[in-house]
Amino acid sequence: MRPASLLRWYPRAWREQYGEELLALIQDTVEDGRPTWRLRLGVAWGGLRERGHQAGRLVRASVKWRTVLDRWSLFVTGLVLATVPVAVTGPPPQARGWQAAAADGMLAAVATTGVAVLVSGLTALPALSRFLRAGGWPKIRRRVAWAAGATVVAGGVLAGLSVASGSRSLAQQDTSWIFFFGRLAAGLAIAVAIGLWAAAAVGAAKHLTLAPRVRAVQLVLGAVTTTLTMIMFVSLVLWWSAAQSSVFLLVMGLINLALGSVLVPRRVSRAVRKGRRLRVAPSGAAVVNPSAQRTYGRHAA
Amino acid sequence: MAPSGLRRANDPPLLILVSLAEGPKHGHALAKDIEDFAGVKLGPGALYGAITRLVERGLIEPVGGDDRRRPYRITSPGSAALAEALADLRRITRAGVARLGLDPA
Repeated sequence: MRPASLLRWYPRAWREQYGEELLALIQDTVEDGRPTWRLRLGVAWGGLRERGHQAGRLVRASVKWRTVLDRWSLFVTGLVLATVPVAVTGPPPQARGWQAAAADGMLAAVATTGVAVLVSGLTALPALSRFLRAGGWPKIRRRVAWAAGATVVAGGVLAGLSVASGSRSLAQQDTSWIFFFGRLAAGLAIAVAIGLWAAAAVGAAKHLTLAPRVRAVQLVLGAVTTTLTMIMFVSLVLWWSAAQSSVFLLVMGLINLALGSVLVPRRVSRAVRKGRRLRVAPSGAAVVNPSAQRTYGRHAA
Repeated sequence: MAPSGLRRANDPPLLILVSLAEGPKHGHALAKDIEDFAGVKLGPGALYGAITRLVERGLIEPVGGDDRRRPYRITSPGSAALAEALADLRRITRAGVARLGLDPA
């Protein structure tokens, strides 16, 4: 094996910067020109570590906790909204006190999240209107079209499920594989539609110019939504753990509860602090690209 | 762990910084020097892994010259990080020497 072939273990970018130097060092190190197995293993291990390091750096650069939480919130919101109608129309499972509490908590969190999302949208409506009047529609048209298409598909699946279930009892539906997959498809279609609308909203928000007070409200509402989503998810998993008598789901629910208990308070306090700073900003200051939360600055209102 | 990421006396980054404190060196010269003063034989993979991390953290920098045997030198932050790590090691050494009742000389 030629020394140059050892460089294949390293990422391309690393090879371009250090490859020749490493080759020179290998050639200086080996006396008869043939690398030992020990040296080959060391270089291969170094290359793998470098690949791991590079991958970690890319992930850290592209994925931030805030983004993860946002996407997670949207996904879980969609999942819950898609699952609840199916779950509540199913046969009532054996009654357990904490199961009923989990179901109530889930429904309350879903309703409150809906209100929070609605209020958040309403506060941004004037800015959206200004953006559209200024000719911003082409910038968001594609995402909105995708979301509208997904909504039509989800509506079609739901309508089909409704028509098909019209002549069958709930017991018949529950024993039918067709209805099982139909409900699954409906749930997925609704979740995808919600996700695409959320992506469209995030895409539009990047172009909006918001007043500091509005941005402060948005920040706090975002944190509230994350909290509620965590409650929804944990409640849903606990509800199912009771319905299915599943220890695995119970453990999953408790793990998520523990994770949420650590992550959510930090996010809420950070949002409140940021919101407070924005509220005390001088009048005339505005925030552009709020979803990215990177380009705070002063602009003409 | 120290802010510079330097942990133990036989850490490759620490050994490289100690070697470069004497002056700029390329990879092979670094490996030879480290083997001489520390008795640690660093393979090419380990050496360049450590060099990459140190360059990323701004503790060393390439000097230029021949691309295939490019020398590196320690930067000001690198010198500060090395001084901090050595102070830590000195404190540990003093404690160990005192507890064993050895001659500090």
